[in-house]
Amino acid sequence: MSVVGELNSLRRPKGAKKGEKEESPDNKAGYLFLAPWLIGLFLITIGPMLASLYLSFTDYNLIQPPEWIGLDNFHRMLGDSRLLNSLKVTFTYVFVSVPLQLALALLIALVLDRGMRGLAFYRSVFYLPSLLGSSVAIAILWRQIFGTSGLVNQVLGHLGVQSPPGWISNPDTALSTIILLHVWTFGSPMIIFLAGLRQIPRMYYEAAEVDGAGTLTRFSKITLPLLSPIIFFNLVLQIIGAFQSFTQAFIVSGGSGGPSDSTMFYTLYLYQKGFGQFDMGYASALAWLLLVIIAAFTVINFIAAKYWVFYDD
Amino acid sequence: MTTRDFVISRRGALKLGLGATAAVALTATGCGSGGGAGGAKNADGKVELRLTWWGNDTRNANTAKLVEAYQKANPNVVIKPESGEWASYWDKLATQVAANDAPDIIQMDEKYIREYGGRGALLDLAKNGLDTSKFAPGTVKPGESKDGLMGINAGVNAPVILANPKVFKAAGVDLPDDKTWTWDDFKRIAVEITRKSPKGTYGSTSPMANDATLSGFLRQRGKALFTEDSLGFEAADAQAFYDWIMELQKAKAIPSPDEVAEDDGKSLDQSSFAIGKAGFGWVWSNQLNAYDAASGEDIKILRYPSQTGKAADAKLWYKASMFWSASSRTKNAEEVVKFINWLSNSVDAGAIQTTERGVPPNLDVREKIADKLTKSDKKTIAFIEAIEPELGDTPLPPPVGAGNFPDIQKRYGQDVIFGRSSSADAAKKLIDEVKGNISSAS
Repeated sequence: MSVVGELNSLRRPKGAKKGEKEESPDNKAGYLFLAPWLIGLFLITIGPMLASLYLSFTDYNLIQPPEWIGLDNFHRMLGDSRLLNSLKVTFTYVFVSVPLQLALALLIALVLDRGMRGLAFYRSVFYLPSLLGSSVAIAILWRQIFGTSGLVNQVLGHLGVQSPPGWISNPDTALSTIILLHVWTFGSPMIIFLAGLRQIPRMYYEAAEVDGAGTLTRFSKITLPLLSPIIFFNLVLQIIGAFQSFTQAFIVSGGSGGPSDSTMFYTLYLYQKGFGQFDMGYASALAWLLLVIIAAFTVINFIAAKYWVFYDD
Repeated sequence: MTTRDFVISRRGALKLGLGATAAVALTATGCGSGGGAGGAKNADGKVELRLTWWGNDTRNANTAKLVEAYQKANPNVVIKPESGEWASYWDKLATQVAANDAPDIIQMDEKYIREYGGRGALLDLAKNGLDTSKFAPGTVKPGESKDGLMGINAGVNAPVILANPKVFKAAGVDLPDDKTWTWDDFKRIAVEITRKSPKGTYGSTSPMANDATLSGFLRQRGKALFTEDSLGFEAADAQAFYDWIMELQKAKAIPSPDEVAEDDGKSLDQSSFAIGKAGFGWVWSNQLNAYDAASGEDIKILRYPSQTGKAADAKLWYKASMFWSASSRTKNAEEVVKFINWLSNSVDAGAIQTTERGVPPNLDVREKIADKLTKSDKKTIAFIEAIEPELGDTPLPPPVGAGNFPDIQKRYGQDVIFGRSSSADAAKKLIDEVKGNISSAS
């Protein structure tokens, strides 16, 4: 539920005036309470990030001390065909799974928003996969369901399909099963959509109805514009999250990114280079490239947002 | 409520983007701490040694017994066990070594012995007085390199083909005579089993399922996987290997690519050979115990076939199932080597271990523990001893940078069997990638 918490903190309280801060008489106490978080930030986040930046300019095999090699790691990337493949896999994953997942989340949120008996129950049921989806247990279960003699193929067999593929062990279909796993975890954006929908004033719809607007018109002229900041919020977070996906690919492919590199996500490749091949300098450089890629997409998102996100402030 | 209540402000959204972007995978690569090496002596003035290994419940229990027995005989030593699973073992070890926090005694594998040894992380056991005088011929060499004896063989292994008699019987096919059989025999028998068995049962598992097969294939062509510092074969050899796999696949001697790839990710007791869905299985000899137990059958152990039908031309070899190595940064080299000496040469240790880590390489120990062995143990030992006069040269372990060769070979193999690449292309790329890894690691 942290996302909802974050959303709450981003809301501006009604009537708050800009530039009017309440000065605390005792900042020390504030910092004291912040200390656990600050220590964590510096030791576990900023420290390793700086170390990783340094390592990205070195040849470091984890055993001998790192050796400064300047930009060599970054030059190496240019000729790395497996890196190119991992980028292709990751981009496919991001650009297929994120829109699908958000569309599904919005659709279910719209249905639930109509108000039905047992709403709390359905909300929980649909949210459940979000909690489970990135877990190891579900990834293992996925392997079973989509295996050559798994549940999916048993059903297909009863429907008369002759020798269906082994979804996870076939390079043509393996990535789709992981995309499906991601789409299935639509619960957390759905909850956020639902919260957003609930707060669109009914009077807009009533007024539109009086003017004779149909369901589609109401959706496109009222719901979408007023919900656009929420859609944007979900889009930014989901894209960033999808670029960093690791667990599902790692477990479903047994850590290999296979078959035939078809599920070799960027983060998995980075992990293999660093911990499997003792190439930590190169792995660090890969991590920074990922940061740049994600930052670039976030910037693009923010620029594009000017044209479609409607802020009411 | 008004619309103001839920709309995200422009500035709030910007903060969100910045914050979330920074929290990327960067932290994963930059970790590693400066923890000191394990203390040399603990509070009671006892020598403290840290021992790490990978394994399963059986091996963990076995190792605990070893530790207990050693501590009883050497009251001045305390051994702190650190067990792990194969998959996470190497990540953990790599980070420990990077943090200058390596355990004193390390169970090591052929894949990584040069990665660590060649970078100065392992102790030269020979120089520190390890006794190998009672070891069977050829069993010490796998741990040697130009840096010295980087690890001592903990158990002898050989690449084998297992045969499940139940599958043969059901198909009405006779078991081959492994002293005279050829590759053509192998293919013919496997095809016949597939044809006469129920759907889903095949003559053999894929030879690619085991990392020894390519090595065996190359040796019979007069080549080798590795030389001291590079690859010992050409693209044409790898191409021939991939072509042979394709030939078996087309003849339906082995399962479909999907089934092969899936079998690859399964645990031993669920694998197609263990559950009686394949006549032949490509494995290492120390896995016989586990397959006997998993299948409930009296599994037969066979030599690789040869081109000529003569067993000596099969060019079999002994592999160390694993090694005992020591950290070069240990503060107690003397005590560490003493412990490894005991593991390798004492009958007490041998009686506890039996063949759990492979057949004891020490002939003296092997003889004296004979009455403690199970039926599977005896089959394995009999096989290991029977092939001794037929062995070819001892193959060299992978050079630095080539530790993950089996994964790379498998990946290009999958490219071929799934029709994503021609065997010629895959073979060429395989050579290029491995040579690239070796040169960038040196």
